[in-house]
Amino acid sequence: MHDVWKVYPNGVEALRGIDVRIDYGEFVYIVGPSGAGKSSFIKLMYREEKPTHGVVLINGVNVKRVRDWKIPHVRRKIGVVFQDFKLLPHMTAFENVAFAMEAIEMPRRKIKPRVEEVLELVGLSDRMHALPSQLSGGEQQRVAIARAIVNNPSFIIADEPTGNLDPENSWDIMYLLEEINQRGTTIVMATHNKEIVNTMRQRVIAIEQGVIVRDELGGEYGYED
Amino acid sequence: MKIETLFRHMREAYRGVKRNTWMSFAAISAVAVTLFIFGIFLIFAFNVRYMVAELNKQLVIRASLEESITNQGQEELLKQVRGISGVKTAKLVPKEEGLRRFKADWGDDDAEKLFEGFDKDNPLPDVIEIEPQNPDTIKQIEEKVKGLRGVAETTSGDQVTDKLVSLSSFTRNIVLVFGLGLAVLAAFLISNTIKLTIIARKREIEIQRLVGASNWFIRWPFFIEGAFIGIVGAIVPTVIVLTLYQVAYTTLGAGEASSVLKMMPLLSLGTYVALSIFALGAAIGTTGSLISVRRFLRV
Repeated sequence: MHDVWKVYPNGVEALRGIDVRIDYGEFVYIVGPSGAGKSSFIKLMYREEKPTHGVVLINGVNVKRVRDWKIPHVRRKIGVVFQDFKLLPHMTAFENVAFAMEAIEMPRRKIKPRVEEVLELVGLSDRMHALPSQLSGGEQQRVAIARAIVNNPSFIIADEPTGNLDPENSWDIMYLLEEINQRGTTIVMATHNKEIVNTMRQRVIAIEQGVIVRDELGGEYGYED
Repeated sequence: MKIETLFRHMREAYRGVKRNTWMSFAAISAVAVTLFIFGIFLIFAFNVRYMVAELNKQLVIRASLEESITNQGQEELLKQVRGISGVKTAKLVPKEEGLRRFKADWGDDDAEKLFEGFDKDNPLPDVIEIEPQNPDTIKQIEEKVKGLRGVAETTSGDQVTDKLVSLSSFTRNIVLVFGLGLAVLAAFLISNTIKLTIIARKREIEIQRLVGASNWFIRWPFFIEGAFIGIVGAIVPTVIVLTLYQVAYTTLGAGEASSVLKMMPLLSLGTYVALSIFALGAAIGTTGSLISVRRFLRV
């Protein structure tokens, strides 16, 4: 990102001149108080929002200039994980993950083996025919992660992935993300979890009032909450 | 689009219809009523065209000749008539032949008795019957024939067609305005049904967008759902309209050679009408989805 500004129609300046570069294979925490601009930062990365000013390059593609019909192709290189999982309640774990492959028109014969493979990776082989309502929060988030990685994205954006989970499940999710990172996938994770950031040391980018105030490798969380 | 994807979209569309049973039913009914009126209009329009064509086939100019004209004069006149551009055939019908036809048209055994006296003193004139190459030029030809020396008067049978054409265009305008209003209503109902489906599938669409589904992948099921409603709505009116037509056709004896009323046979008409109704149904349906997809589906 180069000199990125995000100003909403109501005049709120969510981001003010962000300059940052995240390389392939990195694991980055985005931290900062609520309303600091973390969400806007994340949304720019998966092209949910366009920058008001400045350049956002994702895999070398300028997301502001890219034509609307090409955006889906940009998004296929990105996996997104949310705090509230965003699973489809009427579909089983298997179907939820397969749904992401069907959406990009993968042939059926490729879907089944690949879905089974990622569900095994996230440790849910024996729960693949359960509905989300039959799964614990941690399991649901693992299904969401399986869905995010099933199409082999080059990076994953996780918006408070542990926000709705108890500490034990949170750690499970973090180990899983770490494993995915070690396989070469870039991970950008917005979080409020001090313990995780301070224990699992990675690059930390702190945003306050729309500006990056700190960017350090192996940094600390740095806030009290 | 891959076949597999197409089937997927069709399944999705069917789920949409089933999910909003009552709205779908209302939309299908509105389409059905619209298409029923459209079907009646279509049958009417096709038949008017057919009747006009049939009548045109029978169109001839009859030029009555002056009594004083000699046989040689008649031959001369016939040549002149044949020389007029646009004349397909011209033949002389002597008054004896005219009387014979007159009696035959009467078709009664009593006719012989009734017109007995006429054999001796035939009141009919000799006539030249002229068939135009193109029915549209009949007036011009008639004018020219009227101007020829030896022609007493001319008649042509195009007044009926004139009336038929003007009546049909009047009716057509009324039906079109009415039908258009109904089509808009039907499209609106369909767009509402599609809107409900879009709302129901909001989360699915959100995820499809996130994982990079193409815009058309997301839109297709809604268009198919709209077209499906339109096509299902076309079935009932097609059946009713064509059945009614068949009943009318047989009751009026329109197929018989002697009938004055010339109606198109069901087979040739049915294909046109059914195809048109189904095409219009699908068009109304996809228009309805288009409205909702454009307004409510952010992709």
